[in-house]
Amino acid sequence: MQYRQVQTIDGKGALRGIAVDSRGQLYAAGDSEIKLFDAAGRLKQRWPTSRPALAVAVARDGAVYAGEMGQIEIFDGAGKLLRTWRDETLLGRVTAIGFSKDSVLAGDAADRAIRRFDGSGEFLNNIGKDNPVNGLLIPNGVVDFAVARNGAIYAANPGKHRVEWYTPGGELLGHIGRFDGIDPAGFTGCCNPTNVAVRDGIYTTEKAGPRVKAYDFSGNLLAVIATHPFNPNCKNMSIAVDSHNRVYVVDTEKLAIFVFEPVTTV
Amino acid sequence: MSQDLTRRTVLAVLAGGAVFLVKKANGQIVWQVNAARCINSRLGEVGVEACNLCTTECVVALSAVRAVNEYSKCGRCNICPAYFNITSAVNELGQPSEKLCPRDAIARKPIGKVDPEDPANNFYEYIIDEEKCDGCGKCVMKCKEPLGLGSITLRVRYDKCVNCNRCSISRACPQNALVQLPVGQAS
Amino acid sequence: MSRLPQVIGRACVLLALLAQTALAQAIPYQRPVDTAPQADSIGGGYKVPAVQKPLPRDYWLQVVDVVALAAAMGVSVWLVLRRRSRRWLTALTIGSLAYFGFYREGCICPIGSLQNVVVALADPKYSIPMVVTATFVLPLVVALYFGRAFCGGVCALGAIQELVVLKPVQVPRRLDRALGLLKYVYLGLAILFAVKPALTRDFLICRFDPFVGFFRRTGAPHMLILGGAFLVVGMFVGRPYCRYLCPYAGLLAWCARLARRGVTITPNKELDCGLCAEACPYGAIEKMRAVRRNCLYCARCYASCPRDGELAHAKLVRSLPDGRGSEALSEPRPLGSEGGAAS
Repeated sequence: MQYRQVQTIDGKGALRGIAVDSRGQLYAAGDSEIKLFDAAGRLKQRWPTSRPALAVAVARDGAVYAGEMGQIEIFDGAGKLLRTWRDETLLGRVTAIGFSKDSVLAGDAADRAIRRFDGSGEFLNNIGKDNPVNGLLIPNGVVDFAVARNGAIYAANPGKHRVEWYTPGGELLGHIGRFDGIDPAGFTGCCNPTNVAVRDGIYTTEKAGPRVKAYDFSGNLLAVIATHPFNPNCKNMSIAVDSHNRVYVVDTEKLAIFVFEPVTTV
Repeated sequence: MSQDLTRRTVLAVLAGGAVFLVKKANGQIVWQVNAARCINSRLGEVGVEACNLCTTECVVALSAVRAVNEYSKCGRCNICPAYFNITSAVNELGQPSEKLCPRDAIARKPIGKVDPEDPANNFYEYIIDEEKCDGCGKCVMKCKEPLGLGSITLRVRYDKCVNCNRCSISRACPQNALVQLPVGQAS
Repeated sequence: MSRLPQVIGRACVLLALLAQTALAQAIPYQRPVDTAPQADSIGGGYKVPAVQKPLPRDYWLQVVDVVALAAAMGVSVWLVLRRRSRRWLTALTIGSLAYFGFYREGCICPIGSLQNVVVALADPKYSIPMVVTATFVLPLVVALYFGRAFCGGVCALGAIQELVVLKPVQVPRRLDRALGLLKYVYLGLAILFAVKPALTRDFLICRFDPFVGFFRRTGAPHMLILGGAFLVVGMFVGRPYCRYLCPYAGLLAWCARLARRGVTITPNKELDCGLCAEACPYGAIEKMRAVRRNCLYCARCYASCPRDGELAHAKLVRSLPDGRGSEALSEPRPLGSEGGAAS
């Protein structure tokens, strides 16, 4: 499968996590604010967060969850703060947020685990901690995951060079990927993939030889989406996929978001 | 006699000069590598060959500059790009088949709790044997960000450095990365 | 080259490491990493090992070097002026070569220390350690009183040349004087390059030291060849570096002129046989008298004197006025055609 770059969106400042909602609007977390870009890539709105924002996600009801250090702030679609979930232990450094059925999931990089909360903020269980190394192996300091349509949580485990998927209760179901410094189907370097997104396949980003790839759910490489537009010093490039299978990737050095579209051969 | 007088004058000048210089004395200064400037360490230089001027220029037979792993900053990765040559073929253990260091100076040992079912999924400590290392910088280049975490840097080792007035590496280094520091500030 | 000082030194280093807290901030590094797993995260009783931070050579060992320098000069003075023994002086020469040359690898040396002194005087920000100042001043002070005792059996560069002197020829005086000016040129250049600002500063004496490659047992090929050439030439022209190139020699020579004591050829019409003048390989005997500024303290003159050691001669020496040798009490006897030390 081939992809081509269709857009470059200027991040208007620092960029960390991104999320795409059902209308194609792009939310970006960076510095101490959340930025909202419309479908054409123009900055529509920005509002501050009380702590540096590391991750952002949009719930089905339109609420915007911002992951920060020690807390999650929940805003409405217009940027008004609704709630704050603060927990210095469980939400030490929230680098990814997702939703699975009725639960809210937060990736805590400080403890190398994914936390599961119910809708009101009650902690339910950990995901990814039930192994001998006591968590996900993340030397890059970022926990990233995505939730598939069936509710399974696909988490990037960069130290093991694979993407693992769990039930919301924390049980490991399977994994794809392996280390390979030569074969493009493998993940190279010390710790890749750094970030993951899921729609009709598994999308990963890697550092050091930055590239974006797509796999099917059996682990076969579908496409190397892009390598060249990225600054070679990029690391922890957040990725999101919208309902039209457009892939959004953050360039952490150029501070821009690249948008790629599958080339449909008629 | 005038010779006595001249001698005493010269002695006084020497003594005065010595006192002046002793008053200025402020401890020893030593050479150290500034990792922010070293090609092997700093961001931005990608796809270049590791610079080994520290190995070739040092006047000591085996260079006084060695690679040092700052353990608290090491990622303890299973596949360490400084230990393994990650562009070599993968063996049946899922590891690259070749090691990177030409002098085999890096040792790898598992730490923490070892996963009995899959030892590859574990933390590993990477220890550089300084007696074997010659400061060629290959591991430093691979460990630096973004490929690694940059915990390995080249450093001057003071039990081997003869502390020349003008370090011959400093004369050759294209980035002026060799700097002089008071011994209390160098590491 | 005993290992004991190194063992003691290393033990002191360990004690110092334990005693000092936070021994160093490393030089700050771009994009500092705080994501590496720490001990509590790794678990299993793991403790982060300490990174070795070896300290440079202990201060007290550097002081020992200075004391050794002073002691060696004292021994040199005593051996040449009192004992007049070439055998013991050769032993001292070999000892100095072994310690200051091959063990300390020729660094720090008084010749090079003059550059540090010059820089310290010119650059207010430059700090010169006390031991370097002492290394510079001590041989000059000794020279003020006893002549170039440093050159005789203490200086490692001199020692290595001293040991290869085979069949020295007497260099004609005019040529000797002319070549001797080269050392002032070198001195001037060394000072000129030392006073430049820090990044362009060049320590010429260190860089062009012909013998340091032998001391370190490694070096650039062209410098090793140069050193070898000096040694080969040195077999026939005594100590060419010391007489014609050494920048420190200029300073020592000025001080030696003012010395109270030193090598003395006693003036006496009946005793002037000229054997000492033939024996001196360094052109330091002119008109049958010792030229203090050129005398390199090798004691060959004493060794060649047929009357040296005789009690009568010794009494004769002591009874004469303090021999600076400026008043010739007799005309020197003309010698053979070898152009001796006579003009």
